Amino acid sequence: MISLTHYLVLSAILFSLGFYGVLVRRSAILILISVELMLAAVSINFVAFASYVDTDLFSGIIFAIFVITIAAAEVGLALGIVLRTFRERASANVDEASTLKW
Amino acid sequence: MGMEQVGILVAIPASVFVLLALTYKLLPRGGDFLVVLAFAAMLLISLAVAGDYVGHIHDGHFAPEGANAFAFDWINIGNGHFLIEFSTWVDAITVVMIVVVSTVALMVAFYSMSYMHGEPRYGWYFAALSLFVTAMLMLVVSGNLLQLYVAWEGVGLASFLLIGFYWERQSAAEAAKKAFITTRVGDVGLLIGIVLLWRQAGTFDIQGIIEFAKSGGFDHTYLTTAMIFLFMGAAGKSAQFPLHVWLPDAMEGPTPASALIHAATMVVAGVYLVARMMPVYDEVLIARDVVLYTGLITAIMAATMGLVANDIKRVLAFSTVSQLGFMFVALGFGEVGAAMFHLLTHAFFKALLFLCSGSVIHATHEQTVEELGGLRHKMPITTVTFIIGSLALAGIIPLAGFWSKDEILHIASEQAPVVYVLLASAAVLTAIYTTRLVLLTFFGEPRNHHAYDHAYESPFIMAAPLVVLAVLATVAGFVIFDPVGQALGFPGGILATVFVEHPHHFVFDPMFAATAVGTALAGIGIGFAYWWGDAKRAERARGWAPELHALLVNRYYIDDLYQAIINRVVLGMGNIIALFENRVVNQSGVDGGAQTIGWFGHRLKFLQTGRIPNYALAMAVGVVVLAVLASSAE
Amino acid sequence: MSLPVARGRSILTGLVLGSLVAGPYFLVLTALAILGRISGAEFVWWLLAGITIAGAVGAVTSKNVVHAALSLVVASMSIAGIFLLLASEFIALVQILVYGGGVAILLIFGLMMTNASDDPIVMDGSQKPFGFGVALVLGIVLVGAMSGAAWGGALETVAGFREIGTRLYRDYGVPFEVASLVLLVALVGAVTVARRDREEDAE
Repeated sequence: MISLTHYLVLSAILFSLGFYGVLVRRSAILILISVELMLAAVSINFVAFASYVDTDLFSGIIFAIFVITIAAAEVGLALGIVLRTFRERASANVDEASTLKW
Repeated sequence: MGMEQVGILVAIPASVFVLLALTYKLLPRGGDFLVVLAFAAMLLISLAVAGDYVGHIHDGHFAPEGANAFAFDWINIGNGHFLIEFSTWVDAITVVMIVVVSTVALMVAFYSMSYMHGEPRYGWYFAALSLFVTAMLMLVVSGNLLQLYVAWEGVGLASFLLIGFYWERQSAAEAAKKAFITTRVGDVGLLIGIVLLWRQAGTFDIQGIIEFAKSGGFDHTYLTTAMIFLFMGAAGKSAQFPLHVWLPDAMEGPTPASALIHAATMVVAGVYLVARMMPVYDEVLIARDVVLYTGLITAIMAATMGLVANDIKRVLAFSTVSQLGFMFVALGFGEVGAAMFHLLTHAFFKALLFLCSGSVIHATHEQTVEELGGLRHKMPITTVTFIIGSLALAGIIPLAGFWSKDEILHIASEQAPVVYVLLASAAVLTAIYTTRLVLLTFFGEPRNHHAYDHAYESPFIMAAPLVVLAVLATVAGFVIFDPVGQALGFPGGILATVFVEHPHHFVFDPMFAATAVGTALAGIGIGFAYWWGDAKRAERARGWAPELHALLVNRYYIDDLYQAIINRVVLGMGNIIALFENRVVNQSGVDGGAQTIGWFGHRLKFLQTGRIPNYALAMAVGVVVLAVLASSAE
Repeated sequence: MSLPVARGRSILTGLVLGSLVAGPYFLVLTALAILGRISGAEFVWWLLAGITIAGAVGAVTSKNVVHAALSLVVASMSIAGIFLLLASEFIALVQILVYGGGVAILLIFGLMMTNASDDPIVMDGSQKPFGFGVALVLGIVLVGAMSGAAWGGALETVAGFREIGTRLYRDYGVPFEVASLVLLVALVGAVTVARRDREEDAE
């Protein structure tokens, strides 16, 4: 039987993988991809709860809708910034953006 | 004018001082006549107060019934818990002091009108004189220790101003500083003593403290300590060993000022203090013995130093120190009457001697004895009065000095024969150096003909006080006789009435008196032997023991010792503290603090890599830590 | 560093790992299903979970940016499948539409604009070990938290489209409008930020 725990563990694993990607990746776009992964994992979490526990009010589903919406908006805006930065510096490498260095 | 109004004796010179200090440049003659008039008025008032005091003596008992005290509260905290008041108290000691101070002050002020004529800052001199008299009178009439301390400091200030009157001279400025600092050392002890007394007695009022002490309210060791500290102040102000170093140097001031302050009045402030607190000293005999031995040592030491001094005023200064030692010896035996009596007579003849020397200095512009000689031909009045003063100092009957010194020697012979012998030798030394001074100055051949040719007798204004003081130096001693005392209004004689703690009738012991006069004459004889004529014998004597002579001339090297202490200890400590301030506070503390922060900054700045993934990692670590904590908190 | 060797190596690594891990996984799963040890729903669930995790791993570890983006798409689609298993068809559809049709397209466009085709290999950052450690710890904590509690509850059919719509527009009307505002702002913002300045054109 697939219980709620299965979905929650899956969501936790996906979230950790996305977390790893944010910390490790060097290109801005790869970081964005990892962020998207994290947000998806969060959606799974919400919807799982809505289906298993909160079936009357299913607030989790509504929240998941908003999460997906905001994720999409965020990607659009972030890509705009990446493009701008790439134009200035001809590189999307995050490591090189270190003018705030001591 | 009754005893309760004695405070006016402080108010008059105070107002004169303020007026003169502000306007002396505007007043004609610098305002000196104001001062003389004020002092004359003060003398009359003092005599009136004395008369009122005498009027209250019945059957040998002084019954004040509150008539001799006056007080008004100044600061009153906690309804008497902490009380500072302006209070006056009149008794026999006060009466003696105010009469002495007023008389000598009047003589000196009158004399100064001629002596200081033509000096720069003429008016300021009189202002400083008025300030001094204000403080001195406040000191002797005050009824509580705090007011006394204020006046004590005021007297020190006036002394400083007058010693340093010719401040253009480096030596005068140094001497003024030395006087102030030395007496300051003593004043610290005085203040400690006052505070100690207050802490247990709960009051600053002198009579209150005396009552408290008599009733046994003080812890014995505590009281001994307090009274010794009090005596420290007295020793400082009265130039007793080891705080005597300032008085010889204080002769840099104008001679009339020296006559008033450093002969007759200020230096006896210490004697006055101990006399006033004598009922308390009677409770702690150890402290009284300290007074006794200090006075004894000083008397002998100063007399030896006076033998070799070359400046007229210096010799007189050492003589003053020595005579003050005599007074403290008397106090050390608890005999207030004898001490006050000697104070009275000494004031007159010492002031006389100083004014005479001023006359000599004014005439010849020379102070060094080596440059003088044979002045009796040119200055007869000065010579005669000086000789009278010298004989009084040496203690020759029937001059005043004999009676008071004899009284002290008598007491010493009854109580401690060893002290008597030592004191008698000091008396012999006194006679010797006095004779030396007279012979070298007024007799023999003039050594500096330029000075001798210019010498002239002093004008009337300067000569008149000399004569007055000479008369007083002659007759003042007779008041000790019972009939004289009774005539003055003291039933049964002064000694029986006034100093009621130790009343006794005056007894004239002819044998004892003969011994005293004999030793004095012997001293005079020795003086004649060595210094008559060419003083060749004295010069040869100097060759016998050059080290001893050097010791005395250098004042037992005590001055050098103090200077060495200052250089090594005080300045040394100052250097240590400066080092501490530089190393610890400045370098380590202030600079070090800044450098530490900089050091940390230099190393911590590497955290700011500027790279976003590093920051993201840091935030992630924080989040994870929180998550771990949150999950483990359950 | 666009070395052909590195490119090939990345593909090779992926294939090797993939076959080593994924192969047995799927084989075991199929075997269990055929044997009847697990029900059909369970089989589907484990299949979809495996694909999701495979896609996620590929997204965060692939050295080739294009491969990473495509892995994200794969993961998103299988997540949509998960949503279907959770009986939320609406969310599954939204997921496919937005992620597959919106986010993926945007990411590919971004890659194109930043010339990823010239140089698709991006070596990982310098803090790989630290990141790995931190993420591992987080993973352990989360998984522990999730599996530690007894959640209870059973899968029930959630409301359909009509109910979701009513909820969205009636009870959550204000957040809905705010979300649309956010989209507007993001749109305007993206355009403003990415726009070429006039001076650049003039040069």
